[in-house]
Amino acid sequence: MLKLSLFGKIIVYILLAVYCLVILVPFFMMILNSLKSMRDIFMKPFSFPTKVLYDNYTKAWNQAGIGTGYKNSALVAGVSVVGILIVSSMFAYAISKYEFRGRRFLFIYSMLGLAFPARLAIIPIFILLRNLTLTNSLFGLILIYTSVNIPFSVFLLKNFIDGVPNELSEAARIDGATPMQIYWKVVLPLVKPALSIVAIVSFVNVWNDFFFPLIFINDKSKATITLAVSIFFGEYSNQWPLLFSGLTLAIAPTIILFLLFSRQFITGMTQGAIK
Amino acid sequence: MSIKLRYLLVFIIPAMLLYTVFIIYPLFDSLILSFFSWPGVGARTFVGVKNFQTLFTGSYAKELFNAFLHNVYFFLLLIVLELGLGFLIALMLASKIKGAGVFRVVTYIPNMIPLVLVGFMWGLFLNPQVGLVNQLLKLVGLGRLAQPWLGLESTALTTIILVNVWRNLGFYVLVILAAILDISPDLIEAAYIDGANNWKITWRIIFPLTFSTFRTLAILLFIWSFNIFDTVYALTGVQAGPYRSTDVLGTLFYRTAFGGLGSGAVDMGLGASVTVFIFMIVMPVSILYVYLVEKRQRSA
Repeated sequence: MLKLSLFGKIIVYILLAVYCLVILVPFFMMILNSLKSMRDIFMKPFSFPTKVLYDNYTKAWNQAGIGTGYKNSALVAGVSVVGILIVSSMFAYAISKYEFRGRRFLFIYSMLGLAFPARLAIIPIFILLRNLTLTNSLFGLILIYTSVNIPFSVFLLKNFIDGVPNELSEAARIDGATPMQIYWKVVLPLVKPALSIVAIVSFVNVWNDFFFPLIFINDKSKATITLAVSIFFGEYSNQWPLLFSGLTLAIAPTIILFLLFSRQFITGMTQGAIK
Repeated sequence: MSIKLRYLLVFIIPAMLLYTVFIIYPLFDSLILSFFSWPGVGARTFVGVKNFQTLFTGSYAKELFNAFLHNVYFFLLLIVLELGLGFLIALMLASKIKGAGVFRVVTYIPNMIPLVLVGFMWGLFLNPQVGLVNQLLKLVGLGRLAQPWLGLESTALTTIILVNVWRNLGFYVLVILAAILDISPDLIEAAYIDGANNWKITWRIIFPLTFSTFRTLAILLFIWSFNIFDTVYALTGVQAGPYRSTDVLGTLFYRTAFGGLGSGAVDMGLGASVTVFIFMIVMPVSILYVYLVEKRQRSA
């Protein structure tokens, strides 16, 4: 793309390096301070710990309920993603490959949720879950997250399924395949990239969400990771070493996953939002 | 292809049932609830437009307007910083430099952290006495610049916005970068041969050809700016201190519907009317967004 002179290149490298430092230094400081004593954090914030306190992590793990948070978040995000993939792909397949009355209406109807953040409906959702006795329940969260992610997933999947040649599904039908078999054996295998985008984007959205657990969950044993850390920050507000180690623990899994699969994440997140 | 009704229903009902029950119906119910007064249990009392009067001209008017302006400020500053800086960094990454791949990954890291945790992390760094930001300023001899960033009415909101930018900028960089890389290199090559410089290529070729991406991002930023909650919650709490100087519609809504220390009486109806207000602001832009998305799909 743009060609730069040597001087231009040097400037660009310096600016990019500064930007990377702005991003990375906070993480480094968080980890550094998570291994210190309170006194060290306050007296020598930028130096290495006088004594490395790995114990901070054990304490934070137990007191913040990080293990429970991981487990709850993984369960909620995992089940939600499976639910989203199944219901959205079935719906997208039907409105993409079959002609029937009301098809266009159904598509536009399913897009409404893209335009209106579900947060605006939080009070009625809360009442609904309360009537179903699903507040303070991980299953309640799963239902909401599955529903919230339907519009974007349907949109993305329909785009991809539209691209699967009709001849393929026609041929399968002539061979006697039922609609369910065409969906499962012909169409789904051909839209795997779209399925993985949907899986990545919705997993990250659900894992990172804080608003719904804040409103719906009031029992520590049901807290997702974001809510667990939030409660921890409220209760241990002056135990800085533990706050830093708790944060590090809470953040670590997604960062590690991201570094392992950065290419998939980046295509997924950027395409998922725009296309 | 045609399909038997019973098969069709099998494919359509699960998604539509969940979506209608948990998204569409609640959105409508919000609208209805905004005409009622309701403490959260027991019977709803119909109060007509009283909630909206309370919001727009009554005891909440000042607070609502104050929060609304903060959302607008959020949006404007985010447009300038996320799209401006995003474009600049994307241009740098799109020029032929080594290691662009590594930079790309690093840029995106903060995006993987839940917004609320980003808020808590910066809350520690921004602590007035012992936070690293002020300590760093003292270390490099700029101690007189050190201040309680989140404790001053003049700096708190901007600080929160900067924390948001720190977290989200990578997303904008990568989306804009993807749009730039979609431009045919021949086009830019030809412009160089015709003697154009980088400045001209940027503004006459790259910017016009990536404009639709900027438009989409601006629309999304608008919708998101009116839904800000997590960072404010983590950095200055639902009371949005100091003295509501960081209050946004999201935190105002939270206080009216779910309470919090020092809030007035909780009223779900009043809370719902705040969401209806947000809804009204976002709706025209949202409809434009769905329209553009659908148009692009039809032309694709």
